[in-house]
Amino acid sequence: MSEIEAGRGAVAPVKTREGGEGLLAALALAGGAGVLAAFFGAPAVRFWANVLLWFCFYATVGLGALFLAALEHLVGARWSVPLRRVAERAGSLVLLAVLLGLPLLFSLSVLYPWTRPEARHQPFVSGKLDGWLNVPFFTARALATFALWGLAFAVLAGLSLRQDRTADPRLTLRLRRFAPAFMALYAVTVTLLAFDWLGGLEPAWYSDIFGVYVFAGSFLAGLSATALGTVRLLSRGRLPGVERDHLYNLGGFLFAFLVFWSYIGFAQYLLMWYANLPEEVFYYADRAQGGWPWVMAALALLHFVLPFFALLPRDRKGDPTLLRRAAALVLVAHLLDLYGLIFPSLSKTVVFSWPEAAFALAFGSLLCLWMRRAQSLGADMPVGDPFLREGLEFRL
Amino acid sequence: MSDKAFAVLGLFDSPDGLLAAIPRLRALGLGRLEAYTPYPVHGVEKALGLKKSPLAGMVLVMGLVGALSAFLFQFWATGIDYPIVVGGKSPLAWQAYIPIVFEVMVLFATFTAGLGMLLLLNRLPFYGHPVLSSRAIAAVTRDRFALAVEALGEELDVQAARRALEEAGASPVEVVPLPASDGPYSPNALLRGLLAIAASCLAAGLLTYWGIKLMPVLPPMVHMEDQPRVNAQAPSAFFADGHAMRLPAPGTVARGFLPYGPASREEAAALPNPLPRDAAVLALGKARYGTFCAVCHGPLGDGVPTLTAAYGAKPANLQSRTVREYPDGVIFDVITRGKNAMPSYAWALTEEERWAVVHYVRVLERAQNARDEDLK
Amino acid sequence: MSAPAPSPLPEELAVPRYLEGEVTAGSLDDQVLAFPERKPPLKWFVAFAFTAALAAAGFGFIGYTIATGIGVWGNNRPVFWAFDIINFVFWVGIGHAGTLISAILFLFRKTWRNAIARFSEAMTIFAVMCAGLFPLIHVGRPWLAFWLFPYPNQRALWTNFRSPLLWDVFAVSTYFSVSLMFWYLGLVPDLASLRERTTHPLRKKIYTVLSLGWRGAASHWVHYEKAYLLLAGLATGLVLSVHSVVSFDFAVSVVPGWHMTIFPPYFVAGAIFAGFAMVVLVLVVVRESMDLQNLITLDHLEVMNKVILGVSCLMAYSYFMEAFTAWYSMNPYLHHIFRQYVSGTYGWAGILTLSCNVLAPQVFWFRRARRSYPVMILVALCVTVGMWFERFVIIVISLHQDFLPSAWHLYKPTPVDFAILLGSFGLFFTLVLLFARILPVIATTEVKAILPGAQPHRHGGGHE
Repeated sequence: MSEIEAGRGAVAPVKTREGGEGLLAALALAGGAGVLAAFFGAPAVRFWANVLLWFCFYATVGLGALFLAALEHLVGARWSVPLRRVAERAGSLVLLAVLLGLPLLFSLSVLYPWTRPEARHQPFVSGKLDGWLNVPFFTARALATFALWGLAFAVLAGLSLRQDRTADPRLTLRLRRFAPAFMALYAVTVTLLAFDWLGGLEPAWYSDIFGVYVFAGSFLAGLSATALGTVRLLSRGRLPGVERDHLYNLGGFLFAFLVFWSYIGFAQYLLMWYANLPEEVFYYADRAQGGWPWVMAALALLHFVLPFFALLPRDRKGDPTLLRRAAALVLVAHLLDLYGLIFPSLSKTVVFSWPEAAFALAFGSLLCLWMRRAQSLGADMPVGDPFLREGLEFRL
Repeated sequence: MSDKAFAVLGLFDSPDGLLAAIPRLRALGLGRLEAYTPYPVHGVEKALGLKKSPLAGMVLVMGLVGALSAFLFQFWATGIDYPIVVGGKSPLAWQAYIPIVFEVMVLFATFTAGLGMLLLLNRLPFYGHPVLSSRAIAAVTRDRFALAVEALGEELDVQAARRALEEAGASPVEVVPLPASDGPYSPNALLRGLLAIAASCLAAGLLTYWGIKLMPVLPPMVHMEDQPRVNAQAPSAFFADGHAMRLPAPGTVARGFLPYGPASREEAAALPNPLPRDAAVLALGKARYGTFCAVCHGPLGDGVPTLTAAYGAKPANLQSRTVREYPDGVIFDVITRGKNAMPSYAWALTEEERWAVVHYVRVLERAQNARDEDLK
Repeated sequence: MSAPAPSPLPEELAVPRYLEGEVTAGSLDDQVLAFPERKPPLKWFVAFAFTAALAAAGFGFIGYTIATGIGVWGNNRPVFWAFDIINFVFWVGIGHAGTLISAILFLFRKTWRNAIARFSEAMTIFAVMCAGLFPLIHVGRPWLAFWLFPYPNQRALWTNFRSPLLWDVFAVSTYFSVSLMFWYLGLVPDLASLRERTTHPLRKKIYTVLSLGWRGAASHWVHYEKAYLLLAGLATGLVLSVHSVVSFDFAVSVVPGWHMTIFPPYFVAGAIFAGFAMVVLVLVVVRESMDLQNLITLDHLEVMNKVILGVSCLMAYSYFMEAFTAWYSMNPYLHHIFRQYVSGTYGWAGILTLSCNVLAPQVFWFRRARRSYPVMILVALCVTVGMWFERFVIIVISLHQDFLPSAWHLYKPTPVDFAILLGSFGLFFTLVLLFARILPVIATTEVKAILPGAQPHRHGGGHE
């Protein structure tokens, strides 16, 4: 009962920049110099807040991509098999995130108020210092999280890469069996990422939907990264057999989860606004002054309004150029989302100047470089997967 | 049944057959082509050259209209027309309007999609289409696929169409005639039926309105008004005197009331002054004395009032030996119960205030009767 | 980059067929459309008599409540909301599974949903009808219920648009209208089939009128498919929003245990959970009593049980997050009430909820359990009971001991409460039985479109 639009077929080549690896490296180095300058020149809080921002960004994008791959195994989807390698490669970002997270563990006292002695006298905070918010337990949780992320990547990407060589369908079975375990691991670690790393900046605040909110942003980020990677490879002819129909599904997921993210974000806001409890609503009160409302408005515009209306028409969801632009926009908006979660808790007014720009240059370029390097992971499509052919034959 | 042909219709056994036949017949240009299938067959609309449905745009526009109207209406009703502060939030706060805005948007969009598709785009319900009375329609709704060549205004070349369909593989081929007269499902009858429905809806609506106005005053709804309780100033058969309102029981006192202790002035003489003679008490006593006592007894307590001589009565001189020899309790009792022409001042001064005034009077007496050693 | 030679596929990776035996479009019509055309068997009448009696008794007690007052229920301070709102949330939740199956699975192109979509949508409509009963009767003066709608009146008053109770009115009535529209549009081509098959004159008139003169024209299908797709998208938005608005009834307040931000997605997950359990229960009965095993296969039931398992894990996450956040909040009222959820007078209800919702469905990790009638019926019953008690826990336990200890008081339901609850089940199943008697329980048009050979070979191929 579905329509076929006229002219669906192979994707026409899309103009993208070629061979810019050297340029990216130069940009990364320039940004790196700025980062170094920030380490010595900017206040410690500013520096580590930026590190936290990029740690969360890499972690959420990588985890979201891994979630996409695991979801495919969980439900036994076949249309997405040709695209799964792109997601697995994007999942390698969790390793980069761990590299950023480890130094953060040594600078917890800079960012987190609960590490300081005044926390012993703060209501709503003092009671949980012994049982939860203390450096040893936090570190243990963080290390366990990092280990689990590494395990998840090793299994999801590792088994899939092995299948490239052996074409053993039993590996698909093992991946399918691992998928529920991944889901449990993902739920726990994303919630910990949210509560510990992001929520810990305001230890008196609590919201049990926060884990779901970070999940929604993470999944969207993973989808966007996969969509970007897919369109890029497709435009270079490296995904033979992948059609607009596959892109349409990716675009549809992106569209649907945009709505989901907005719903979760608005639900949290509406409930806290409505009840107006001082012990909760200060979180939003902080974001309602000092220039932060502009950031919130920009977030609503970039993370919801623009991509929603861009992806709403049916034939646009499968259009590679539009999908690329929408996915890139969502990724940038996700960064803005994390920025809005971290910085207002640390500063009464909006901070954006050379440290943030330096970090963006450095880590943005590093991201692009890493993703290019990741293309050496296995074939561009999971060639050993028994359902690859069926996946390529998928038509709406 | 007239003998003018509406269409020539051929049945195919499989969707492939239908799809293969369409381009052949389109090329011949014998008339308007329409396919009839039991379910949507992929590729048919493209083969027939049908335009994309404009429904999505219509739904988007109407959805946004719904969202905007819902928002503006709520904004106006709760923010401007009758502003009410709920939960301490400004009446113009937009956050609380979002859920209803979303729901009304979906409502408008849904009705546009459903009714727009049926009434506007497909022009359904329509019971008079000639194909509905053809022989093929039963097979079409079951498992056959039909291709019809419909007359495009002028006469249809029935023979050519029949030949073309048979060559394309259709079997059987049927000529669908134009209906002769207005059957029971003709557009006119339909219109009359719809008007009847609209009229009955209107009547039902008016009846409901009248019923709703009436219902609250019918039993059992009115039972809540008839409550077995006592109303003010109503008679009651329960009590002997017939009054529903009762007097308080004997001995009932007002809240905060305490009965006055001494039964006589002699008993009052024994009362000690419970307040200390300190600056605060004296200040209080001075203030109250100035308010209530000085008008008659004078600012110095010597019985020279601030009233004019026309007043008539002669207030006591508090500096006199008699008063100076009174115990504190007697002065207290005089203030409380009055003496001779002086009324009771219990209504004006609390007990504490009266004792404070007693202290002040003592001070006044001392001040006017100072001894030499007080000056040293 | 050439693929190595593929080894044979293990059995567990085989794609389920979702169809048994030879099914053609014609045989499908004969099998499914025959039911409305012939007299129902005796067991239908027996079942109908039972459910209708239950419904009638329920309505009798509702009348008694309206005539006498809400005092005949157990609601009292501080538990001002009890069975009335529990039942409302319960039934609205059950409706969501139907919309998920017919709308969301349509958008995901899971064609296995075609055989069960019609029944599920019908169940949604009936569940929403049962749900709508409770806000109506619990207001005390139901004859003034029209005050809930913002019409200009001589009191110059408007409804309180900022109250979640009013958002409920809009959400549930929108949900009902959209579900009805979606269901009816799906029915139109099937009604056309019935129209052509029947010879009985009165039935032919009724089907003719109801089928709107549908003739299967390709130019009509274009708009029809577009409308169906748009309605599926809109209904998907409703699945998320309606139960979220219902959860706002609780979450916007400050009652300890109610003001948890996870309520919106948690309620939606719970709704899908309870709804799928009800759909499984009804489908098992339908497929056995109407001999539809070749169309509603064990594969359908297995995949639905997988969904039940998945959502049970989501519920487990939600329960854990609520408990953890309650501790993390360092709010003594939250600490107290969460302890009351599992201990205290009503602690048994909390334990029951956790066992039924989290533990019982875990048996579905095993394939044999997913495909076994006794197990799936037992688990579905557990989930239904568990979800009803979950709302009991949320509403009654949180209300009976909130901020002021001097206001604490136990809640005791009355027989009238139970009678009305049973009556609502009676109403639901009566409507289900009537539907099965009068209308095609399987969307024959939709199933025909996915049969092998239904689409031209050039465009055929995998739908996954």
